[in-house]
Amino acid sequence: MKKPTVLYVRLPPVQRLVEIKAVAEQLHFKTSTLLLHGGKVVEAIAWFNKHIASYRQLVGSTKNSFLHWDWLSRQFLVFAELLETSTVAIPSTLPSHFGTSENPLTEWEVQPAYYYQLAASYLREKRYCLDSSLSMTDSASANTLGKNPESVLPSVFVGQSARLLEQGDTIEVLPLSDAEYINYAITEAQRFQDSYEIIALFKKAYESFNSLKAPRLASHCSTRMAKEYFIAEDFNNAKLHFDGVSSLYRQEGWVTLLWESLGYLRECSRRFGSVKDFIEYSLEMASLPIFSAGEVETPNSKREYGPAGLPTLSRRESVQNEVFGLLRGENILPLTDGGCSLIITEEQPVRVDVDVISPLRMALLACVAFHDQSVKPGSPTMMTLSLLSQLPCPVEVDRLEIEFNQPKCNFIIVNAVKDLSTAQLDMDSQDVRVENAPSLILPTNKWLRLTYEVKSGQSGKLECLSITAKIGKSFMICCQAESPASMEELPFWKFEDQVETFPTKDPGLTYSGLKVIQVEEPEPQVDLILGASSPALVGETFVVPLTIKSNGHEVYSGELKINLVDARGGGLLMSPREAEPFSSGNHHVELLSISGTGVEDESQTQFDNIRKIQQSFGVVSVPVLRVGDSWSCKLEIKWHRPKSVMLYASLGYSPNSTEAASQRVNIHRSLQIEGKIPISISHCFMMPFRREPLLLSKVKSLPGIEQKVSLALNETSVLIVTAQNCSEVPLRVISLSIRSDGDEDSRACSVQHVGGIPADNAPLVPGEEFKGIFSVTSKVDSPNLEVGSVCLVWKRDLKLGDFEDSGVVTEQKLPSVIVEQPPLIVSFDCPPHAILGVPFLFHIRIHNQTNLLQEIKYSLGDCQSFVFSGPHDNAGFVLPKSEYIMSYKIVPLCSGLQQLPQVSITSVRYSAALNPSAAAATIFVYPSEPEFIVGAKKQETILV
Amino acid sequence: MANTACFIIVSRNDIPIYEAEVGSAMKKEEAAQQHQFILHAALDIVEDLAWTTSAMFLKAVDKFNDLVVSVYVTAGHTRFMLLHDSRNEDGIKSFFQEVQELYIKILLNPLYLPGSRITSSHFDTKVRALARKYL
Repeated sequence: MKKPTVLYVRLPPVQRLVEIKAVAEQLHFKTSTLLLHGGKVVEAIAWFNKHIASYRQLVGSTKNSFLHWDWLSRQFLVFAELLETSTVAIPSTLPSHFGTSENPLTEWEVQPAYYYQLAASYLREKRYCLDSSLSMTDSASANTLGKNPESVLPSVFVGQSARLLEQGDTIEVLPLSDAEYINYAITEAQRFQDSYEIIALFKKAYESFNSLKAPRLASHCSTRMAKEYFIAEDFNNAKLHFDGVSSLYRQEGWVTLLWESLGYLRECSRRFGSVKDFIEYSLEMASLPIFSAGEVETPNSKREYGPAGLPTLSRRESVQNEVFGLLRGENILPLTDGGCSLIITEEQPVRVDVDVISPLRMALLACVAFHDQSVKPGSPTMMTLSLLSQLPCPVEVDRLEIEFNQPKCNFIIVNAVKDLSTAQLDMDSQDVRVENAPSLILPTNKWLRLTYEVKSGQSGKLECLSITAKIGKSFMICCQAESPASMEELPFWKFEDQVETFPTKDPGLTYSGLKVIQVEEPEPQVDLILGASSPALVGETFVVPLTIKSNGHEVYSGELKINLVDARGGGLLMSPREAEPFSSGNHHVELLSISGTGVEDESQTQFDNIRKIQQSFGVVSVPVLRVGDSWSCKLEIKWHRPKSVMLYASLGYSPNSTEAASQRVNIHRSLQIEGKIPISISHCFMMPFRREPLLLSKVKSLPGIEQKVSLALNETSVLIVTAQNCSEVPLRVISLSIRSDGDEDSRACSVQHVGGIPADNAPLVPGEEFKGIFSVTSKVDSPNLEVGSVCLVWKRDLKLGDFEDSGVVTEQKLPSVIVEQPPLIVSFDCPPHAILGVPFLFHIRIHNQTNLLQEIKYSLGDCQSFVFSGPHDNAGFVLPKSEYIMSYKIVPLCSGLQQLPQVSITSVRYSAALNPSAAAATIFVYPSEPEFIVGAKKQETILV
Repeated sequence: MANTACFIIVSRNDIPIYEAEVGSAMKKEEAAQQHQFILHAALDIVEDLAWTTSAMFLKAVDKFNDLVVSVYVTAGHTRFMLLHDSRNEDGIKSFFQEVQELYIKILLNPLYLPGSRITSSHFDTKVRALARKYL
């Protein structure tokens, strides 16, 4: 800058320095603006760093050093604002080469927040220097204030100040002396509210760092902001920010920093007069893991350390002593510079709650372990209560109150050393158990273990909720009880180098001990009897008699639950895959009903209302039973499939009519019942004797594929149904019939009962078979004819008194059959028996039922038992709709049951051979003419 | 030797496990807390920087007034942080490397639980000696 020589006055040293800096600031501002405008952020920052480096050392004399810091702070502020207004250019230009040697910039140096917080720190420096220079000048220059220049103006030249003198109309501008200028500057600076400026700058930086996801940088700003609030005596805001940062330091375990923040917080609470906060912060401070030996505190250390002082062991001890003095009723005097006096009175007791995430766990940690996992009601169990404190001095507790979820179990442990009168002062309720302990002193990092007996009369869960330690007359610290098994370690102390101790004497209990114990139910004094004779049979209504008998308890509001579960597991008694439903749903086993034979009729009606029955589950209420009474009912269960089932019956009742439902007694019984198929039904179709139709579907059938049974059209076949008792109990068959399924089929096929069914209610012992014979005549040529289903009505061969039903119907569907027109029917014609040596005629008739000429070949093999006349092999033609008869005369040579000569007939057209079955080709040969004595002169024919 | 230097080891879970003032002169207004506040704040920058480079020695990552934070990140993400006012980069690098050797010896101690506070007085003495030598 060119200096105008005419008016320019060489200033005295202080003002000269101010001038130089002001000029430099102007220049720097312009350069930076230009650089940033051109998008050269790196250059701008480099330029700024150079600018700061060259002027930072020019502090000037200590008296006016505040001017320097003020100026420096302004540089940062201005640059930050410049950066902020041009932020659009930043992100794209600079990502790659941070931290390299040619570009030592860090990412944060392009953030305005970085400069804001530095501006704030320098402003703080300025205020400090101003304060010290004020305190220096206060006494010395009180007199000089009088001649403080009234009107000082910035002169025409940058960085110069001048006094404006008005003398009449003429206005004169005079230069100032250094002393005058400093006075002027100090008064100006005093008017300025530095604190608010500093807070505003830190806030800006804090918010910006927070949005950049840099919580630690933000918390650093936040701490300094909070300190500023503290200095400005805005304790609300100070507390707010200190709370924020201390939670971060707590989480990351920076003990020294936490100590510092807590010191401020403690001081804030003292200013508020909040006793509880003061105690909490003090206890937390005192229990931090700080062990360094004390250094001598320098007289002005308050500025560096804040109210917490040096983080040393001795300081921790003094913090603890101070707060325990307060707890014991001493008064903490207010500070000289304001704040309230803190005292705990009996009218306003203080209670501090410690939960599992509270930092005060360090001050007092309580864990409770029951020695057992479950206990019978009314019988005692042992419980160990362990307390740990990390406070540097031993803590003496006056009274411990242990609270359970069952208030009857609560008890109090009183320190025997202390005066009992104080302990029993407010013990208004007599039913609370009081135990005495020889001493309740908690040394540092050493578990205080107390083992007591607990007795609970109420079944259910017994859980220790909290332990309240009472210290002094009106202070309580209430710790949530923790289980040693699931206890978290103290976050600050777990990495400290210290002796590891266990909360319980038995280390096993430390790893498994729980603060919860299960109190079992009282022993039921009621019998529940399930009487049933397994097995059950599929289809029948199986009855399980159930009896409840009271032996020692009266039964009130009893409820009986019945549950059917698959014995092999899987729970459900139905398979969703089996699509074929039974008439009553697709449950394999079904609970049909629960029929009670109540003693009182009036309760019966009531009982019917409440009962609820589902397919595998039922609930009924049980009437009130006095001691010795019994009540029974019958469960009716039906099996649809053979299945093994577990029947669970559970009775819940309360032994007293008055007591609440919580004291319920439960009794369970179970019974496995096998469901079995009673009768297996099989069947077979037979052709009439010695009559063989040629069924083409049989000829064409491929081996290996199961074929339907083929029947010949308009021929009568024989159906034999066999029912076998495969259960272990005797049964009675009431009837056996074939039921046709539809009208259409009844016309297509007629089934007539021929015989085999004995008299009514034929007994059927286990393993015995029973046969029914039916004749089947089909009149429709159909590949898929439904014959019908077998209907067997049976019942158990038992005398069950009133349980007499009409029998159980077992139905089995017969498979469908093929009905077709046989082209040829071969029938054998021979006498029922033969006599040795007497010739007889043997005809083979081949009936052609088609309209075609059928060529057949036939042969008759030789055999030892017979001689015959006629051709061995021959061929012939059967005219349409006519019959071809081959006749042989046969002489038997041996007596007894003999095989006729082997006949083989082959149809050429169908290339099918027809061989009679062995039974059909057998004849009995008598040695001589048998003599039958028949009264009615009836020549009996003997069939095989 | 440096005028002011504060050395701190931060474990991988951000907890300081060793701290030492290794400067020759303890300036009154630069107390331990102040240093720790700066070092704690610098952790954010280290988090950003550590994953961008394969080098262990991150050099100067942060500045506060005339104090510089130099950081060395071990393979286990334990961070050695040094707040100092000297500009002797080579010396600092050597210091960090030697401290890492000491730290590895601590880690090899079967009685030392990784991540817990280093209380060995031998370690402390050695670190202070190294600081005198290099800084």
